[in-house]
Amino acid sequence: MLILSRKSGESLVIDGRVIVKIIRTDGDTVKVGIEAPANIPVHRQEVYEEIQKANREAANQAPLAKLPSLVKPKNTSGSTPLKPANIQHQTKIV
Amino acid sequence: MSSVAEIEIMKAMEVQLPLGLLGFENIKTYSLTSPPDQEPFSWLTMSTGEGLAFLVLPPAFVLNDYAPDLSNDDVNFLEIRHPDDAMILNIVKLRPNGTATVNLKAPIVINRHTMIGKQVVLSQSAYAINHPIQSA
Repeated sequence: MLILSRKSGESLVIDGRVIVKIIRTDGDTVKVGIEAPANIPVHRQEVYEEIQKANREAANQAPLAKLPSLVKPKNTSGSTPLKPANIQHQTKIV
Repeated sequence: MSSVAEIEIMKAMEVQLPLGLLGFENIKTYSLTSPPDQEPFSWLTMSTGEGLAFLVLPPAFVLNDYAPDLSNDDVNFLEIRHPDDAMILNIVKLRPNGTATVNLKAPIVINRHTMIGKQVVLSQSAYAINHPIQSA
């Protein structure tokens, strides 16, 4: 693991295309900003690992397992409303 | 493990996940099949690699007011211009005791025109990775 020290306002560049900026430090919490191309998703590690584990558990299934019978949705179109968030800046703050 | 040969292939739609699923990032092409006797469930099956299949469900069958917040990055990546462009499917986990849960925290959002999708991890804390499905 490469270990570097940075102060607030300083950045790291990974592979020439991912920029990690230290926005602010507050006690033992660091606010980090990440600029990355769209094909490089960025996640908090523990969240990533939880979803990865859930996906892997869901992939191991008997194809003929009994499926739960479900109630029909109340909205007849069965579609889910989508609301894009109002994030204005390009830097993702995590 | 579900194998492709054991799933009756009805009309299959190809779905591209350029970033794969979390934990399966190298598998980018899937087949979406909806056997009529398993409605409203569908199967999202890997076209390459291990040929694993994921049972998926439109979230409206589990809760009425699922409202995933997509970031501008996700909206742009998927080229979603209007909410109707998006098809949302959530992965279902069947447990040996006959219960099932659905992953509301990381839906698969597909642009229904391009059939390009992405597994989006929502930042909303209201949605669980293992949300129980109530049987009718």
